[in-house]
Amino acid sequence: MSDAENPGRAVVNTSALHVFDALRIVAAASEPVGASDIARQLGLPASTVYRALITLEESEYIDRFQSSARYELGAMPRLLNRALLRRFTLQRESAPLLRLLAEESGETASVSVRLGWYSLRIAVAYGSHDFYHRDRLGEVTPLHASLPSRVILGALGDSALMQYWAFAEKYFKPTSAERKLTHSSAQSLRRDGVVIEAIAASSEKAAVGAPLRNGNGEVIGALVLHGPIVKSGATSAPASFLSARKSLEASIAAAPQRFASPFAHLNPNDIRIALPPSPSFD
Amino acid sequence: MASSEATDREHNKATARILRVLSTYVSEADDFGVSELNQRLGMTKNMVHRALTTLAEQGYLIRNKAGRYELGYRILELQNLAQAEPDFRALAAPFMRQLYELTGESVSLAVRADDFTVFIDAVETRKLGAWRTQIGALRPLHASASGRVILSSLPDADVDSYIERRSPMRLTRPTGVMKPADLWRSIQNTRQRGYEIARRGANPVMVAAAFPIGDSEGGLHGVIAVGGPEERFDPESPRLAPTLHALVDDLRARTKLYAAESA
Repeated sequence: MSDAENPGRAVVNTSALHVFDALRIVAAASEPVGASDIARQLGLPASTVYRALITLEESEYIDRFQSSARYELGAMPRLLNRALLRRFTLQRESAPLLRLLAEESGETASVSVRLGWYSLRIAVAYGSHDFYHRDRLGEVTPLHASLPSRVILGALGDSALMQYWAFAEKYFKPTSAERKLTHSSAQSLRRDGVVIEAIAASSEKAAVGAPLRNGNGEVIGALVLHGPIVKSGATSAPASFLSARKSLEASIAAAPQRFASPFAHLNPNDIRIALPPSPSFD
Repeated sequence: MASSEATDREHNKATARILRVLSTYVSEADDFGVSELNQRLGMTKNMVHRALTTLAEQGYLIRNKAGRYELGYRILELQNLAQAEPDFRALAAPFMRQLYELTGESVSLAVRADDFTVFIDAVETRKLGAWRTQIGALRPLHASASGRVILSSLPDADVDSYIERRSPMRLTRPTGVMKPADLWRSIQNTRQRGYEIARRGANPVMVAAAFPIGDSEGGLHGVIAVGGPEERFDPESPRLAPTLHALVDDLRARTKLYAAESA
């Protein structure tokens, strides 16, 4: 947006904008990134970028990668993300239950919430198995693009679903394979009350997910146990998983306001998040 | 050119202030108003207002119904899931350095391993006569200031069973045995004060201040401690104490966002 379109912005110094642009490049880079690379991407003089990087480094927003001249995100953005996740009451409430599920199964247990047309993972507990699913806190995915996302999407009503696909078509361009998987997960949810999905590392075993609803039946999130939990083609989840869900839903129903998302009042169509890079299995 | 560089420097100072306003959101509170930030950060209301406006335009803050500012969801764009999460040692490292710079004395970081304290990091002073920390060495919980801070965070029943398991509670410096009543007195003091002050030895008397550092679930990550000879180090002096406590509180605000690693 240029200053002409937004005259209010003229009071803001341009160096602040350069600093945020540089910060976003460091955040989005898949590898640590150097000053000249950033300068090229932003089309700015190297000296301007150097000064921006010094400001960011002194404020702990970026950090040198292994004392080199290349940068990665520093402590502050991570802490701010943690502070944001802490605002979801469900995080605190689910922590002990997730730990139990993870200990019992040896796999990764997590809770994600709905954030507009995305899901956001707010709590996770890792099990003890050597090979595990490194589902990360803070991960944001469009509502068709991960197991917790598909659980939430499948639990939305038909009109919300249509709105989602319109939004997705515009911004995410889902492939036909993704649509197919989303469709079959929604069917499994309608039929069995849980979503059972094959996992990348095993052809015989599957992961499970189930929606978390408030007292009015609205879906606010998803509980997921990621790993070889049940046989492929199973139609029900382990009893401990179902009882953890029941206990979370009872807490939510008892105090719906406390568990509401801090962003629940926003129109989902207004929430746009530039997706951070996510480590892939291969 | 020179004048535009000077302007640039001014602008970068202004930008650093904007980042400082955003960093305030790491603390306990969910939202802030202009006057609170103005008092907390010692910036003029005008500066705070401009910073908040910029951060809201960037989407990193959102103005709520009460007219106060809270974190916006676009903060989620400032994360890189491929980067490893920091552990307790990484979270504490910048604060260990600052404690050392403030006091000039040795600083240590300890965690619990069953009935023992294990020191996982240290900054040792270059002055003559230093509090020595052996990284990786195990010491029974009752035998160091850091260990007693760990004990004071446990329920009374757990302390009792520790005493039962470890009695007689041997000490090496000075050689002897710690009486349960003495351990309890130290634990009560620590609970009351919020930290432990320990003195031991003679010629010189060594003093240590040990602070419990909490995790996201009300438990303990570990203990940060600073110590040196009494003649040059007084952790309760009016010159040191306020900054010392402020540093520890800043570290706590950060570690409270993380769960303790299970040993």
